[in-house]
Formats: sequence, C-alpha cells, structure tokens
Amino acid sequence: MSLPMNLPNYFLADLPPEAVLTPAIITEACRTLKQNRTRYLADRPTAQLVRVIARVSSNWRDPEFPFRKLALDLGPADTGFSRATLAAGLDTFFARITEENLNLLLEQELGDARRLDEFASLPGERLEKRASTANGPALIAHIAAGNLPCPALMSLIHGILLHSAQFLKCASGAALLPRLFAHSLYDAEPKLGACLEIAEWPGGKLSFEEALFAEADSVMATGADNTLAAIGQRLPQHTRFHGHGHRVSFGYLSRDALTHAHARSLAQQAARDVAAWDQQGCLSPHLFYVEKDGAVSAEKFAEILAKELEAHEQHTPRGSLDVASAASIATRRAFYDVRAAHSPETRQWCSDGSTAWTVVYEADARFQISCLNRFVFVKEIESLDEVLRAAEIVRGQVSTVGLAAPPATAKEIARRLARWGVTRICPLGQMQDPPLTWRQDGRGTLSDLVTWTDWED
Amino acid sequence: MTILDLFSDYAKRLRDFIRAHTHGVLSSPLQNETRFNELALDLFALQFQHNAAYRRICEARNVRPAMVAHWTDIPAAPTAAFKELDLTGLPPSERTTLFHSSGTTQQPPSRHFHNAHSLAIYEESLRPWFAAHLLPDVKAGERVDLLLLTPPPTLAPNSSLAHMFETVQRDVGSSHSHFAGRLDTDSTWVLDVDIAFDAIENAVAQNRPLIILGTAFLFVNLLDALDGQARRFTLPAGSRVMETGGYKGRTRALPRDELHALITTRLGVSPEGIVCEYGMSELGSQAYDRVAFAPSAERRLLFPPWARSRIISPETGCEVNDGDTGLLQIFDLANVSSVLAVQTEDLAIHRGDGFELLGRAVLAEPRGCSLMTA
Repeated sequence: MSLPMNLPNYFLADLPPEAVLTPAIITEACRTLKQNRTRYLADRPTAQLVRVIARVSSNWRDPEFPFRKLALDLGPADTGFSRATLAAGLDTFFARITEENLNLLLEQELGDARRLDEFASLPGERLEKRASTANGPALIAHIAAGNLPCPALMSLIHGILLHSAQFLKCASGAALLPRLFAHSLYDAEPKLGACLEIAEWPGGKLSFEEALFAEADSVMATGADNTLAAIGQRLPQHTRFHGHGHRVSFGYLSRDALTHAHARSLAQQAARDVAAWDQQGCLSPHLFYVEKDGAVSAEKFAEILAKELEAHEQHTPRGSLDVASAASIATRRAFYDVRAAHSPETRQWCSDGSTAWTVVYEADARFQISCLNRFVFVKEIESLDEVLRAAEIVRGQVSTVGLAAPPATAKEIARRLARWGVTRICPLGQMQDPPLTWRQDGRGTLSDLVTWTDWED
Repeated sequence: MTILDLFSDYAKRLRDFIRAHTHGVLSSPLQNETRFNELALDLFALQFQHNAAYRRICEARNVRPAMVAHWTDIPAAPTAAFKELDLTGLPPSERTTLFHSSGTTQQPPSRHFHNAHSLAIYEESLRPWFAAHLLPDVKAGERVDLLLLTPPPTLAPNSSLAHMFETVQRDVGSSHSHFAGRLDTDSTWVLDVDIAFDAIENAVAQNRPLIILGTAFLFVNLLDALDGQARRFTLPAGSRVMETGGYKGRTRALPRDELHALITTRLGVSPEGIVCEYGMSELGSQAYDRVAFAPSAERRLLFPPWARSRIISPETGCEVNDGDTGLLQIFDLANVSSVLAVQTEDLAIHRGDGFELLGRAVLAEPRGCSLMTA
C-alpha cells in the first residue's frame, strides 16, 4: 500500500504493491541495518536516545504533527478504529513516553540507566568491586500480530533504548501506524531511522522469515501459542526467542467499592477500559466480576455500564466492522436475548440499530470469552474464591485485572490474584494504559533482551 | 378444537399451497405472495399461542400476532434457541420424534420435536423440491438406484437428514438402493466402504445411473477411500450427486470446489450433475443450488415457494441489498410444530430470490486471540 501523501520510500512497507519482496531483499536489508547500527547507533549515548524518543513521542500528541494527522486521516479506513478511538489511544500511549519515565524504565530493568553505555555498579556491587554493562542485541526481529499498534510501537522503543537495529514484520494490513511512527523517527533522526526496517507480509511466508531469523540475534513475537511454538522451533541455534502469547483480562469490583456514590464513576472507568482500542487488546476486559450483596447490584452496575458505553459511542465511536465480526455480535446477542426472555438471571443491553456496544449481565460466574468490539459481560459472584474457580480455564493466560476495592481489602485481593497467576493489577479505567515500566507477561522488558558483561576489578 | 386440530386445519391449507405449486397450478406472483403471507401470519399466531418458549421470545421483543401484518415482521428464533429450549408447539405426549443437529462436543445439539403429523408435512415439503432438483428427468412412478451416505434411520433416529434420505428411498428408491453409513465406536458417522464400493461397482457393471446423496464429510470419506485403493470410477451417464455441507471437524475439511472436482475425477460425475443442498434439523424445507443437468450456469441456493430466505445485515437487522453479505434468515411454512421463522448463524450472500452460502459466522474466537472456544 502506498500512502497518498509523499512519504519517501524508506522502508520495505513503503514500496508500492507491485514491488516483489524476496528472501534476498530481506537478508540484504538486515545486513544494511546492522551496518548502520554499528555506524550510527551502537555508540550513541543512551541519554541522547531517550531525548529523541521523548521528543518524538511528545510530537505525536501535537494535533498539528503531520504524522499524527496522517494516522488519524488514514487510520479509520486502514485500521478499523474510529478517528476518536485512535486519537484517544495514541494520546494515552504517547503520554507515558517521557524522558523521566524512560529513565525509570532503564533503572528498573538494568539497575542503572548508564549501563547500556558503560560499566556501572550498584552500591552493593561497589563493595565487592564489581561493575556490569549491558549489551542489546545487534538486530531484533519483531513479528507483530494483530492490528493494535501499541505493542509494536512499544517494542520499537525498547529496541532503540537497547541500541539495537530492528526489523519489524507487521501482520498483513497492520503496518500503517508502525510505519508512520518509524517515519517520524526517521524525520527526527535520519541515522536512527536508518537502523529500522518495517515490512509487511501475510503469515506463513516461511522463506521470508527464515531469511530474517538467520540475521537476527533476538526474535520477539506476539501471537497465538501454536504460532509462537512454530516460530521457536524454526530459529537458528544462536537466536534468542521472546514470545508473548495471547492474554485475556477482566475487571473485579468488590462490594465495598461499589457504593451508590461511586457506581457511576466506576462504570465510567469500566466503559473506558472496554472502549479503548475497541476492546481488541490483551489488556481489554472480557468481563467484570461484581461481588454480591453490595449497595449496588451487579445487574444495576451492568445497566449503568451500558449507559456509559452509549456515552462513549457518542464521543468515541467504535470503528466499523467487517460483516463476519458484526455477525458474531449479532449471533451472540440473539442467544442472550433468548436466555434473557426465559430467565431473570440474564439481561442484555444493546446499542440501537447497530452492534456498537453490548452488555450482558449473567448470574452465572463462568468465565466468558467476549467476541470483543465492545461486547462485555457483567457477572455476579460471591467472592474472589468463586472468581478464581470460574476463571480456572484461563489460568496462566490472564494479563490484567482491573480492580475496584478499598485499600483495606485491595492488598489481600491483589496478593491472592498474584499467587494465582495474574501478572498485572491496576485500577479500573487504566487497564489499557499500562505504565512504561509494565512488565509484560510478568517478565522483564529490557532485561529479558540484554546480555551482561560483568567486570570484577 | 384441540391444538392438533388447529394445526391440522393449517396443515391442510399448506398442503393445498404446496400442491398448487408442484402441480403447476401457479397463481400470479402477487396472489402467491398474499397466500404466503396469510399462511405465515396464521401459523405465527398458532405458534405464538401454543409454543410457550417461542411466545416468551416474541414478548421479550414486544411483538404479538395482532401487531404483525407482514411475514417479514415475524420474530425469528435463533437456532441457538433450539439448543436452550423446548421450542415446540407439541405437548410432551405428542413429541414422538426428535431431530438433533449434529452438534459439536462443546455444545448441546439443537432439538426439533415432531409427531406423525408434522413429519408428514416435513415429507410433503421435501418430496417435490427434491424431485425438482435431483430428478427432473425421472418420470412419475419410475424408480432409481440410490446410494445414501448416512447411517439408516434405525441407526440414526435423531437425524433429519437420514429421515429425509429414507423418505426419498421409500418414494423413488429401487431395490438397488443402499445406506452406506454406519456409526463408529464413538457414535460419529463413518462410511461403510464395502457397501459404497459394491453399489458403485454394480452401477458401473450394469450401466445403471447411480444417485449418491450424502454429507460432505462422508463424501470425503468415500473419495479418500477411492484414493487409498488407487481406484477411479466413471459412473454411468445420468449418475448424479447431492452433497450437503458440514464437516464439524470430523474429517479433513475440503473447500467445496475441491470436493466437487474430486467427485468429478474419482467418480466421473460431471459438475452439472452435482447439486448442493442446504438443510438443517431446525427446518422443514430444504434449499438446492441447481437442477441436475439443467443448463443454468450460476449456482444459488433456493428454497421452495413455501419457504423464503432473507439475508439480514448483522449491523442493522435490515435486509441487505442483492450481492451483499449478511446472516441467513428462513421463513418456512412447513415448520409447523416448532417455529416458522428461524435466524441461522450462517453468513450468506443475497442472490436474487436465493443465496450463496459462506458458512458459519466465527463466534467464539476473539479477534487476534485464540485462547479457546467458548
């Protein structure tokens, strides 16, 4: 696909559709990336890189920034997200990318932000006269899944911090935002841009991937577990693999939190979590568990949530859907309609004349995978014990729990969720807005990628 | 009048309507539409009154018979409701036959109850439309050799398809007709290869046309068995195939074009002799996509004049334009004992009076996520 604006052909993804990609071109591109890294990136002070990333990220929040304008103009047709959803999503994402936060990330991951530039010691290490420095991979290959841009953009930022050359392979039709972000980096620092490659090809092109994997030091991939397993098996011995499987998330509202006074604001926060990125991310809630016997019942909360989703539809509409996705929603609605007609334990609220949003209330605690695109369940439960039993089928695959509980109980709930296997707990309303220091899947982000050199003096 | 009397009065009028069509006593399209509408509204009123589960669905949508003037406004019951509820107007003592959908391991099957009267209507609906598409060149009273790729109803008493095939066999099958399906140890349907090969070999040896009716997955069984023995047949001229979709993970799934191509190369049945059928246990009528050996070029599935299909936009609930895709709805006057308006989970393209089937809407799998199926 070529952009209607005159963006230069910096990346493979910029080439016109008639350009034929071959394994040899990919190999050549990887080698050029690595040379450019040696020349332009490997020895740049980390602090400079942090400043560039922070500056570009700040630009992305400027309504006049040309790349942002392009993203918002072309995005709705290209990505399926409405302009307002894209704008809100990009704002939330880039607001986190500040110099201060980038330095916090470096410190969290490496102990000391200077360690990518030189040997440095933590106080304890100084006592034993030891210092360490971290080396990022020369070339990271990213295999990005789906059309949610944030994970791909975040990976690129991590790679730059690590002074790595990067080759990002997008899923078919999902390259627009990563491309525009890469162009914005190129525009800010051409030498930095020369260490990035963005390409797009349909899954299953094994010869392309082989060429890429042969050149990369690290491969980062997101996708279904079987896809990840297949990639892992095809990597050369020397290549490190970092796979991130699909995850699900849900919300939990304790009876003490859901008071009459707070019900509306909690529903607003829950609606924000559902509406962000049209519920397509691993951090988006499939359902909200609401404890029984609070001041506001689960059923009432579902009703308020429906009103808030309708409000979102007015200012941040859901994107338009292909007919198969809309049919999934219509079919599920038909099913819950029938249940609701026959049982007081099920109720459903739907947008009028469209599939824009759906709330299903059920007394049945079973964990339900949503068909997404702003289709969410609210379920009444007795206690956290019941939730953990009901969610057993997704144990080990839960990313985030959006929690509403007073401080007195929140700590214990969080502790139990953590022991059960949840890797992130956050307030409702922030599920799709993790801090820069978030450890995806409970693992280190930068620390997972570096190789250490220890120096014992 | 009892419930059964009320239904039998309707059934008599429906029979007249079916006969008028099959005996060529065709009225004008307008009269036809008026008659269809009258029958549909009357049947809706009966079903609203006597089918409690359906009535609750209608009431939840605030629809009562008095409010409905046109058949398109009759609330369609989703096929999922056949899984959840006893969606029937028959009192429990009258529910003598039960048709199940084949179902999947995760989901309960659909349940469609029948009694002798509703089965009789089912058979009267299927006969003329089957004959019009599979036997256009077969004279009344003439018998044909059938190879039926399902288990017989004695082994599959809950299969509407096996019942349909038995009805066809009773009506037009010769003494050379056979069921070639049986149950595997886990109750799934498998092909009895010996019976199938015998029937095919006999047809070739005696130069008698063979009509093979079956599900796509048993056709795949048959074609794989031929391949396994490196055998090819050229069935006698006039041989034909009726194939009905659905794999449900039981065998390797083949795209329809590929399946048809293999039927042609391994059995010698020309593409014009392959007819696709669309039917479900929840319905009383079937749709076919062509008349065997007729010169018509374009395949599209068409229900008989006593059943209508509509393709509905999942986004708005309104009928889509010709050529557009949506969810298939069926209004079937022969669905007497359950509900006449059925909302399927199948995506289809609106093609004139009929449709082109695309298949089941993907339900459970969240986009970009493949954790499990709900």
